[in-house]
Amino acid sequence: MVKKRVAVIGAGITLFRRRLQETGKELSHYAVEMALDSAEMTRDDIESVVMGTAPDAFDGIHMKAENLLDGAGGARKPYTRVFVGGGTGVFAPIGGWWHVASGLFDTCLVVAEEKMSPCYPHPQTAFRTIWDPIITRPLEPNLVWIFALEMQRYMQIHNIPKEHIAAIAVKNKGNALDHPSAQLAAKITVQDVLDSEVMVWPVQRLDISPPSDGAAAMILASEDVARKYTDDPVWLDGVGWSLDSAYWTNRDLYFPEYVATAARMAYKMAKIHNPRKEISLAEPYDPFDYKEAHHTEGLLLADKGGAPKLTVEGQTFRDGDQPICPSGGLLGVGNPIAAAGLMKCCECFWQLRNEAGKRQVPKAETAVAQAWGDLMQIGTVTVFRR
Amino acid sequence: MSFEKIRDPRRVRHWKGDMECDYIYTAGIAGEKFFTTIRDKAKLLATRCAKCKITYLPPRIYCERCQASLDNWIEVPKTGTIETFTTVHMDNNGAPLSKPITLAFIRIDETDGGLIHEIGGTKPEALKIGMRVEAVFQSKSKRTGALTDIKYFKPV
Repeated sequence: MVKKRVAVIGAGITLFRRRLQETGKELSHYAVEMALDSAEMTRDDIESVVMGTAPDAFDGIHMKAENLLDGAGGARKPYTRVFVGGGTGVFAPIGGWWHVASGLFDTCLVVAEEKMSPCYPHPQTAFRTIWDPIITRPLEPNLVWIFALEMQRYMQIHNIPKEHIAAIAVKNKGNALDHPSAQLAAKITVQDVLDSEVMVWPVQRLDISPPSDGAAAMILASEDVARKYTDDPVWLDGVGWSLDSAYWTNRDLYFPEYVATAARMAYKMAKIHNPRKEISLAEPYDPFDYKEAHHTEGLLLADKGGAPKLTVEGQTFRDGDQPICPSGGLLGVGNPIAAAGLMKCCECFWQLRNEAGKRQVPKAETAVAQAWGDLMQIGTVTVFRR
Repeated sequence: MSFEKIRDPRRVRHWKGDMECDYIYTAGIAGEKFFTTIRDKAKLLATRCAKCKITYLPPRIYCERCQASLDNWIEVPKTGTIETFTTVHMDNNGAPLSKPITLAFIRIDETDGGLIHEIGGTKPEALKIGMRVEAVFQSKSKRTGALTDIKYFKPV
């Protein structure tokens, strides 16, 4: 089925900030230029381009992938947008993988961009119209209260104290202190999280990632071509994605079945039989602290309800047995939606190349990145190996 | 009852809604310099990629061919050539315009780019592809740093 093994040979990222001066095109350019430089490639070496960018309503430009094309290196190339809402950042390299694994192209530049700050006064406005207009919208929901319902159920089912969830925010914001792109890196305590403003109980201010602007890029190549550019490729050996019913009421919110289905697909492809033993580090999607735990369980890296305790016990720190979000995650590095997901894939690449600097996890051999989105029911998973 | 025959959706159970969002757009690194120079000096700036021999107007901070960063800013003339033009007789809702608007794509001299803008100071029937035009700027006190700081292009 897979015609060619797919390598990652370069990556780039911008600062993640709120209200960056640059346009989305300019942000895309920074990330692309850094990725090309890191692979010692020129744009002529790129055969195809995949753009991942989330709702048009953030940048406020309909068909924004088309707007971003020239900044993303797509002019006069086969250029494709992929889009699954918040899951887009990890779906973009999956789209790139199709291009290369199929044998259609030997190289693919994968770019992810989000500029959320044009949406005024807050990008939350853009989410008001994603709900079913008849069943859900009459109640005027926003994303935070939908997550609060999920978080409450997750904590209740497993009897997880809020302190254990808060420990995840403390870890990720702390890890982000070592990430040069980070927006909300901070040394905080569990008490700081518990004392922060209540938004929609149990979600408090420090449980949640910030809106951001930013871009990231990654270069994929077929095995034979990758060897021409580097002696040290990282392999994208497994991809998986899955969508569950869009009806909240037909799912049990305590467990992300869509992530588990996607993870099983990716692990099977990568021939991973025991993910807890075989995966050196994971970058699950963490727009909220409970979501890191929820997704860690979805990735089959912890028992159901068991993930928060791993952080409380220190196992998920960089020097622990099961490092989780060594980048600092969305909670610490920031959350320019699609770019945040690709940032996680870039982190896997830098970790497996031993290029993560102060963030380096010892003996990193295999890494998994995951994002989540659409109507909060998609899981997108990539498995990387050195 | 056949729903296909209902032309007016308000005759069935329905809900009204909108998808309004408000935006504040900014010009970016290249756009900021381009528009503030129009505002302050009534001059057009471009960026040039020496390697690909392309001059970008509107200016960009990167070359779309080689993706290199560009910081080679040059002032270019406010004159250009009409590449194509059209005359608009209806507004966006299909209502006739009291005064038709003539729009053109103007290739700015010494660049590989250009602007789409209104043509003034002449009658539509006098226009030809290939005609030479120049930018007419608003007076300095009226310029805000926007595309409309150029009132229109007029034949030279």
